[in-house]
Amino acid sequence: MQRIFYLMKKEFKQILREKLFISLIFLAPLGQIIILGFAITTDVRNLNLAVVDADHSSMSARLIESLSATESFNLVCILDSEKEALREMDNGKIKLAVVIPKQFERDLKNGRQPQVQAIIDGVDGNSAGIAMAYIGQISRKLQQEWMQKTGVSNALNQDLRLVEIETRMWYNPSLESVNNIVPGIIAVLVMMITAFLTGMTIVREKENGTLEQLMVTPITSMELMLGKVLPLVIVGFILFNVGILGAGIVFGLWMKGNLFSLYLMAIVFMLSTLGLGIFASTVSQTQQQAMFIAWFFMIVALLLSGFFIPIENMPDWVQALTYLNPVRYFMVIIREIYLKGTELLYLWKEALAMLAFGLATIISAAVRFQKRMS
Amino acid sequence: METVKIKNNSHSVIVEALTKKFGGFTAVNNISFRVSGGEIFGFLGANGAGKTTAIRMLCGLLMPTSGQATVAGFDVYTEYEKIKMNIGYMSQKFSLYEDLTVRENIEFYGGVYGLSRKEIREKTDYLMDYLKLWDHADDLTKSLPLGWKQRMALSTALLHDPDIIFLDEPTSGVDPVSRRNFWLLIYELAEQGKTIFVTTHFMDEAEYCHRLSIMRDGLIVELDKPGVLKKKYNAENMQDVFMKIVRGGKGQD
Ligand SMILES: Nc1ncnc2c1ncn2[C@@H]1O[C@H](COP(=O)(O)OP(=O)(O)OP(=O)(O)O)[C@@H](O)[C@H]1O
Ligand SMILES: [Mg+2]
Repeated sequence: MQRIFYLMKKEFKQILREKLFISLIFLAPLGQIIILGFAITTDVRNLNLAVVDADHSSMSARLIESLSATESFNLVCILDSEKEALREMDNGKIKLAVVIPKQFERDLKNGRQPQVQAIIDGVDGNSAGIAMAYIGQISRKLQQEWMQKTGVSNALNQDLRLVEIETRMWYNPSLESVNNIVPGIIAVLVMMITAFLTGMTIVREKENGTLEQLMVTPITSMELMLGKVLPLVIVGFILFNVGILGAGIVFGLWMKGNLFSLYLMAIVFMLSTLGLGIFASTVSQTQQQAMFIAWFFMIVALLLSGFFIPIENMPDWVQALTYLNPVRYFMVIIREIYLKGTELLYLWKEALAMLAFGLATIISAAVRFQKRMS
Repeated sequence: METVKIKNNSHSVIVEALTKKFGGFTAVNNISFRVSGGEIFGFLGANGAGKTTAIRMLCGLLMPTSGQATVAGFDVYTEYEKIKMNIGYMSQKFSLYEDLTVRENIEFYGGVYGLSRKEIREKTDYLMDYLKLWDHADDLTKSLPLGWKQRMALSTALLHDPDIIFLDEPTSGVDPVSRRNFWLLIYELAEQGKTIFVTTHFMDEAEYCHRLSIMRDGLIVELDKPGVLKKKYNAENMQDVFMKIVRGGKGQD
C-alpha cells in the first residue's frame, strides 16, 4: 500500500513536469472538440424505417415504394398506428417513421395539403438531419409526378405544396450533428490520453533504466502496475470533466442524464483503454513504439465504434465485429446519457458488455506485464 | 592495496558454474567464485565480456540458464525476492529520476523500500549532509554534474542498508576527482563490513579492489589479488596485466 502511494506521488510529479504530457492532457482535448465538432459530417445508409399507412391507397403505396427504393432507408415494417411506430423507435428497432394520414390520396387529388409526418430518432443528429433531407427530396419528386397526372397546371407548381414534411424531433431538437459528435469526442479523448500516457510512462522507465532500478527493489509487479495506472485513472477523470465543460462552454451542450452514472461508466471504459496502454508497453522498447501501437488499436476501435460511421451503414460482417469492441458500447452509453438522459438501468446490456471486455483487456494485459517483469 | 584486511569471512556471494545463454550465444560461461563479506570484488573485462549479465543474474533480474548461485544466503532461482531486500544495485545506466529533485528521489526510493516517513526524513538529512548537497536538495536531478549524480545514486541504493552492493560501471564518464571521491565512499562502505561487487573499465580503479576477476568472452580467465596478478604477468600495473590477458583471447576489444 505504502509503495503504491509513493509510486503514485512520483508519477503525478513527473506527469505535471512533462510539457508534452500537460499539453496532451489539456490542449489536445479542447483542440479536438473544436476541430472535430465543427468538421465532421457523415452519410446515411440503411437507416431503419417504418411506415404507418393509414390511407391504404395507390398513392400511399407509391410513396412507400419510393421510400424503400433508396439505399438510405431500410424499410423494416408497415404499421397501422403512430403509437406502434413510437414503440418500435423506443425499442431501437427503427430510427425513422413516416406517417401517411387517412384520406391522403383524396386530399391530394382535391388540391388540399395532406400532412405526411416524419418522426426521427434525433439522438444520432447527423443521420437524422441527412435522413430528413432525403425524405424531402423523395417527396418533392413524387409531388411533381402526381401534379402532372392530376393535371394541375405547371404555373401553379410553385405555390402548391401537396406533401408537407412535418418532423417531430425526439431528444435532439436542434438536429445539429455537433450534438452527436461531441459526446463521442469526449470518449475518444479519454481513450487516447489514458492509453497513450499509460504506454508512454511505463516505457519511459524502460528507456531511462529506472525500471531496472525498480525491479531490484522489493516492489511487486502488481504494485508497480497499480502505481502507474491509478494516477492515469485520475488524469483520465480530470480530462473527462474538462471535455464535459468544454462541450458545454463551446457548444452549449450540457448533459441531460445523470453525471454519476456517466462517471461510473467512464471508469469501466477506462479498464479497456488502460489495458491497451499496458499491453502497448509490454511490446515496445521506445515511447514512440508504444504510442504507435496504442494509436493503431485505437484507430481500428474508433472506426468500428460508430463514432465516424454509423454502425448501420457497415457491411454485416463488420457490424458483427463491432460487438467485440468496447468503444462501441461506450459510444452508445455516453450518447444516450448525454443527449437523452437515459437511465443507467436501461443501458445495462452495454454496460455489462463493456465491463466484460474491459476486464478481459486489462487482466490479459496485466498478466502479460507480470510475465515480462519476472 | 592487497594489504587491506577483509573484515568478515562469511561468504556473501557464492557462484558455481553459472551460465547464461541468449539463444545460441553464451554470454556468461560456467563461472565460479566466492566473495566474502566486506570484500571489494572487482569485475574486469572488455565490452561484451559478460559482466553486466553476470551481475543481473546475481541481482535477481535475469534467470540463469544453468549453474548455482546464492546471494546473502538466498538462491537466485527461487529466493530473488529476498535477495532484493539484501542488496543495493546501481545499474550501468544512470537510473535516478532526472525529472525529480534530489530530495524527491530519496523520498521515493525510501518509500519503495518501506522506510517510515520519519526514517525517510532522517535519511534525507543525513545524505544531504554527507554528500554536501544541501544547496541542491530541491534542484532537479538532471541539473547535477554526473559525479554527484553517481554518488547520489549510490546513496539511494543504500537507503535500506543492504549488506551487498552491486555497482555496474559506477564511474564511467566521471571526472578523475569525482572518481576518487566515489572510491572513498566505496572504501567507507567496505569498512562497515559491506560487500562491494564492482565492474570498471579503469585500470587504476582495479588496483583499489581486494580481488579481481577478469572476464573474456563469458569466461573468468583470471581471479586473484591485483598484486598477485601483476607478479604473475610480470607487469608494472593492472593496465599491462589487462592488455596481456585480453590480447590472449578473441575478445572484441
Ligand atoms: N538480453 C540479451 N539478449 C541477447 N544478448 C544479450 C542480452 N544481454 C546481453 N547480451 C549479449 O551478451 C554479451 C555480454 O553482454 P554484457 O552486457 O554482459 O557485457 P559487459 O561485459 O557488461 O559489457 P560492457 O562493458 O559493454 O558493459 C554481449 O555480447 C551482449 O550483446
Ligand atoms: Mg556492462
